[in-house]
Amino acid sequence: MSTKERPDQITDQDRYPTLSEHGQALLRFLREHPNAPIFRNQSGNRLEATDLEQVRAFEAEVLRSEVGWPRNGHPAWLEGHLERCLEWVPHYRRYGSKPPRFEDLPTTDRGDLGRDIAQFVPDDLPIDRLINFRTSGTTGHGLLLASHPTVAAGYLAFHKRALRRLGIELTHGRGKVGVVLVGWQRRCFTYVSVTPSMDESGLVKINLWPGDWRDPADRAKYLDALAPEVYTGDPISFAELLDLPLTTRPRVLLSTSMQLLPGLRRRLEAHFRCPVLDLYSMNEAGPVAVHDDVLGGHRLLQPRLYVEILGAGGERVADGERGEITLSGGFNPWLPLLRYRTGDFAALSAVGDAPVLIGLEGRPPVRFRAAHGEWFNNIEITHALQGFAISRHTVHQRADGSVMARVQGVALDPAEVEHALRGLFGAGASLQLELVREFGDKVIQYTSALDGGMA
Amino acid sequence: MEREGPALEALMRRLADTPPDFQAEPWIGGKGEVHVDAVVHDLLRRLGYTVDVADLVEFTAARAAEDRNRLALVLLLAWLLADESISTVGVPQDGVLELLRQESRALAERVPAGKFTADPDRREELVRLALARLGLRPAGETPAQAQDRLSTISSVERARVLKAARVAEERARKIREELARKAAEESADKWGRE
Repeated sequence: MSTKERPDQITDQDRYPTLSEHGQALLRFLREHPNAPIFRNQSGNRLEATDLEQVRAFEAEVLRSEVGWPRNGHPAWLEGHLERCLEWVPHYRRYGSKPPRFEDLPTTDRGDLGRDIAQFVPDDLPIDRLINFRTSGTTGHGLLLASHPTVAAGYLAFHKRALRRLGIELTHGRGKVGVVLVGWQRRCFTYVSVTPSMDESGLVKINLWPGDWRDPADRAKYLDALAPEVYTGDPISFAELLDLPLTTRPRVLLSTSMQLLPGLRRRLEAHFRCPVLDLYSMNEAGPVAVHDDVLGGHRLLQPRLYVEILGAGGERVADGERGEITLSGGFNPWLPLLRYRTGDFAALSAVGDAPVLIGLEGRPPVRFRAAHGEWFNNIEITHALQGFAISRHTVHQRADGSVMARVQGVALDPAEVEHALRGLFGAGASLQLELVREFGDKVIQYTSALDGGMA
Repeated sequence: MEREGPALEALMRRLADTPPDFQAEPWIGGKGEVHVDAVVHDLLRRLGYTVDVADLVEFTAARAAEDRNRLALVLLLAWLLADESISTVGVPQDGVLELLRQESRALAERVPAGKFTADPDRREELVRLALARLGLRPAGETPAQAQDRLSTISSVERARVLKAARVAEERARKIREELARKAAEESADKWGRE
């Protein structure tokens, strides 16, 4: 292992290769503010000067390009993408020759990525600056995805595209904080950074969990001092943000990673007096779509992402029918997607000139209540169980607070699984654990009948 | 290769002229256009064999990602072996089945089936390999000539495949190592989280 790969040897020069004095001053302010949280980690943009040109060019292309394809047809770029995949990507090369119809290609899923992600990295791409996107996923099994600093930086282009539709242009630059990513978890990766393509505006990832602060009252003071232009988070962390006595207001909230139900969205918009964008986003593909009230669904964001809706047998369903969202293309050259079944469901309809996902079913946000009354996020359960060989699990909290957990897996010790769950729900919780041989096709992983459980 | 078989060029031409029906999508997991087991059944009957249904199981599949190319190759081989010159000269049933089962699997791991119709070198490779597995040599060649030509094609190809496999495995190992040792989220900032 070279020194650059050991976390304790990574320097700010590695994390922020183009950092200016202004950027350094902002990082100091963010880290050393008297109300700052305990930052538990470090991270950076890792963008070099040449990367920055590429990131800016990519952003310009994303903002000016059309998204969509002819009705009953394919986007023009898809043929070249397919040929490249079949020639250069080990997993797809096994498919053999190009079929007469795109729809005859096999599909892939999360299991394929989990078996060996290296098989999805094209042979002709350099791998010396790979980064990983780590996802816990709904099955509880972590997945490492190959990516690159320019891909991570590319997310912002799609956020800007989504904002532009609302007439919002991001303006925060030097000396200001562009975005605060808020979490609400017992364990959360937290750090400060800068965004070079926004003239080194600040990027801060924090955990609102009180244990991450010297004084819980510091949360509002720190966020008011930062006065970020954007907050990103999930419905559960935003629900916590609602309770803080903030005096500053962002220009927009971006909700990702979980389904944002309209009730909470309306509350957030009224409270913060700004739009709340509900993004459909995943590690495998980045920001896919954003909810659009006028269109009544999620409008696609990526010019080079083709969406199909498939039935259970892998067949294309008719326009407007529900099925599994299946993706081809994307903006991560280190993970080119070809008919990737996401595990999420919606119908696809053309509304005007735009393909729109109608009735998107993402992962529903759920809060659970421990025996001593404390609430926690469903991600905590996923984290607590990820060390076990669990293929699938569900957890349901009944209206009386008792918990029913059902687990399917290999060589599981029920006592150990129960112990892990009791670590969250408390030793005195009424908890029933059932090992099951098989779940049905559709499983809702986390559910609660408690008031306040479903955000 | 004791027996003289059909002319190499004629069979290569036949491959080049493979009709669309034999290049259609194999039926896999409830999708596709051609039931490959039925095609193999017809081929074996055409060659004069009685067919046991158990012999055909390997020509069905459930997962396209793993078996699509192999079954596409079986289709090509079936088209090749259905040439009148093959039934005229007569070939052993176990040789035919071995060709369709084992050789198709080995070839499918390294070459897309379509290349065996589009690329002249690949056409020659497939025809020579098929004839050799059936104990035949191309018309007009001595056993030594036929063996020498097949060995040349095979050894060059084998060396290329071995090298490619080593390089691929080394690269995959590096990718896995790179990803595994990067601390979670230590990698690079995103304006959002999933």
